[in-house]
Amino acid sequence: MIRINGLTFRYSDIDKPALQDINLEIQEGEFVLVTGPSGGGKSSLCRCLNGLIPHFYGGEITGKVEVDGLDTMKHSTKELATKVGMVFQDPENQLVAMDVEREIAFGLENLGFPRELMARRVEEALDTVGIASLRHRTVNELSGGEKQRVAIASVLALYPHILVLDEPTSELDPKGAEEVLNVAERLNDELGITVILIEHRLDRVVQHVDRMIVLDDGLIVSDGTPQSTLSDGEVSKHGVGVPPIIKLVQGLREKGISIDDTPLTVKAGRATLARVFQHRVIPGWGAERSEEAANNLALQTKVANDSKSDHARPLIEVRGLYHIYPGEVVALKNISLKMHEGEFVAIMGRNASGKTTLVKHFNGLLKPIKGDVMVDGVNTKEASCAELAKKIGYVFQNPNDHLFADTVEQEIAFPLRNLEFDSGEMEPMIEQVLTRFGLTQYRHRYPRSLSGGEKQRVALASILVSLPKIIILDEPTRGMEYKLKAELMSFLDDYRKDGGVVVLVTQDVETVAEYGDRVILLSEGRIVVDGAKRDLLSQALLFSPQINRLAQWFKSYGVPSDVLTVNEVLGMVT
Amino acid sequence: MISYKYADKRTVIHRLNPWCKLAWIASVFILALLFNNPLYLLLLFLSTLPLLLAARVWREWASLLKLFLLLCLLIIVINALVGNRGSHVLYQIPFAIPLVGAPKITLEAILCGAGNSLRLLAIVSAFTMLTFTIHPDDLMLVLMKAKLPYKSVLVTSLSARFVPALTGDAQCIADVHRSRGLELDKGSRIRRAKNYMAIAIPLLSNSLDRAVQVAEAMESRAFGSGKDRTFYKELKTTQFDTTVLGFALLPLAVGIGMRWLGYGGYEYYPILPGISFTQPEAIMLGGLALSLNMVFILAPLKRRIDLD
Repeated sequence: MIRINGLTFRYSDIDKPALQDINLEIQEGEFVLVTGPSGGGKSSLCRCLNGLIPHFYGGEITGKVEVDGLDTMKHSTKELATKVGMVFQDPENQLVAMDVEREIAFGLENLGFPRELMARRVEEALDTVGIASLRHRTVNELSGGEKQRVAIASVLALYPHILVLDEPTSELDPKGAEEVLNVAERLNDELGITVILIEHRLDRVVQHVDRMIVLDDGLIVSDGTPQSTLSDGEVSKHGVGVPPIIKLVQGLREKGISIDDTPLTVKAGRATLARVFQHRVIPGWGAERSEEAANNLALQTKVANDSKSDHARPLIEVRGLYHIYPGEVVALKNISLKMHEGEFVAIMGRNASGKTTLVKHFNGLLKPIKGDVMVDGVNTKEASCAELAKKIGYVFQNPNDHLFADTVEQEIAFPLRNLEFDSGEMEPMIEQVLTRFGLTQYRHRYPRSLSGGEKQRVALASILVSLPKIIILDEPTRGMEYKLKAELMSFLDDYRKDGGVVVLVTQDVETVAEYGDRVILLSEGRIVVDGAKRDLLSQALLFSPQINRLAQWFKSYGVPSDVLTVNEVLGMVT
Repeated sequence: MISYKYADKRTVIHRLNPWCKLAWIASVFILALLFNNPLYLLLLFLSTLPLLLAARVWREWASLLKLFLLLCLLIIVINALVGNRGSHVLYQIPFAIPLVGAPKITLEAILCGAGNSLRLLAIVSAFTMLTFTIHPDDLMLVLMKAKLPYKSVLVTSLSARFVPALTGDAQCIADVHRSRGLELDKGSRIRRAKNYMAIAIPLLSNSLDRAVQVAEAMESRAFGSGKDRTFYKELKTTQFDTTVLGFALLPLAVGIGMRWLGYGGYEYYPILPGISFTQPEAIMLGGLALSLNMVFILAPLKRRIDLD
């Protein structure tokens, strides 16, 4: 049982309090989802639960936190380790041993458990999390999802009543995230462990939790069952990524259709929305949509024609590309493709399917072993990375890897200097991009001290300042909060409309459903399909977005089975 | 790609008790410093090969050796230029070099350099075994048994744990900046230094973040709880291991004995003496070679004997 009374906390180096007057009671066995924008105080709240605040992170604290009757002010993190298990965001930075068994035993060793008891606990932890097959593996060779499950096992070995997971999936691919969330659900369900989960992607977890808390600006802005919290339209203003199906229900309600229940899953949605789809779909809506379909078709035929004849020069052209990493398997096999002005291309596929390897060829970070990559008419074999940087901007996932200069302004000027623009030219370019990304007020700040979202904008600005024709983004939305994601995506959409090419490497189906138009699916280094998103993402079993999975069920009511987004459904309902 | 870190190749050598391996490595190391006779050193070097092969670390070893052979070449060249006490002059340099004078290249100096190179190579081989066949956590346990403080041992093992993450990080940051048009080796010296800062600053700063996160995670798992720490894995030392340990130290005993009897020394200057062995010396040398390979011979028996 956790009891928090009037908790306010301010980190010593930040003026604004991270948490303000938090009052909270969490019962034993509850599954609590905590969400909200980054910088809203989620991690700080977690840190209060096992005494990292105030024992590890110093600052100004008032109020009281009690965990299992222990006051966290008086009991240190080490003492609380057997009460509260903490799993952190980055799987890389919380494992300390070389192999899995020793990792799990680490906490037990610290507490001086006898060896026989440790052996038993390690065994139990391995089985509870379902990773017995990994026991003799080296930590470094595990995937992200596996590492995260090892981290969970390693805190479970201490028999905590409470498990706190601080964005455990934000660094993981969808499969890894699924594995980790399954474990959390099972621990709560079967063992009655209180689980406090911080998460951005709600569609996957929301049906399993008892309670949902939204934190923004250090305040609890909403606290209740997921149904009540999510059907309250206010939460999306606090940067909560409401799952599409609930957005649909909200939209339908705004149209005056009364829906009693708030469905959290596609299955519940089928039951709840059957009546709506049966009676309210505009007859013949499909015909109205045929105009868009025709447009789409035109686009597709244009792409197809281009690949046959060559009247419009593609910005990117790949011919028979192979890539082999030294001593390892073939990463890319016979890839050929073309990308034209104004295209928004999503490159999808499992981990290690060759997505990143492919796009690294576009800006010359990798050179073809066999085949050719032409960028705006230049063969990448004959151009340096720096020369290609004028044509192509590449945004990496972690903005921390980009930032090094003393001020935001210098950070943005850095690539221009590299590309040898003269200072007369640079001034207006920098000015423009600062305004475009709303960074003017931060121009003299140290970029690394900005918040996550601001850092992302600086990184993006520093790439786009040189006005490249093509922009590549490698999994930019992974672990990104909803508001920021929407901002980024609408920016990319504008960029595409201005004639640029956007290449997005992603595993996020919902984002692709909403934006972009062409999808290239890679598997084991080959292109499996290359086509319009509507063809690829609809009726693709688990690969389709939530709304499409719902729409397919209502085919007999005249709902086209290739619907992908909430707005499309809202458009067809009176 | 050869990765320069420990990998459990599941060979009989990897399974061997770390104390035995450490004893053997120490033997080779001390003997390499003890002997001067190039033939002894050659024998020592060759005696490390069976174990390296059995442990299947020859690829790692070969790539390290390539590096050290360059160093050896350097040793020989410098020795030839500087050591001028020899008497078989191969070449007299016709001009004077400041501080060195007009050196003469002598056979003795070259061979002295070569002999010392052999010493170096034997030591490199021994340490290849240390790095690639002893699990870092086992090494940690051994060091703990040797009464080194736990925290310093842990820090060492942690840094080993994070090497791959760090190299990955550095690679990624370099890619980021190449994509931003950075060419590391371009421009004036100041410009180049600045270029490197673009990689160094994010790397350092990311590593600091990482360090804080690791500390936080360790704290959350009761690290430094004040209780006496226990260890999940224990180094089980069976009777067989003790026997192998004895055999691993045997060459050291034999070698010290031989040195005490006056064997194994060698003086390159001023005139290269011929090398000949008396019968007892040859027998003892054979014994030394055999004892150096005893660990190799005994290791495969471990599983069978431990099961009995």
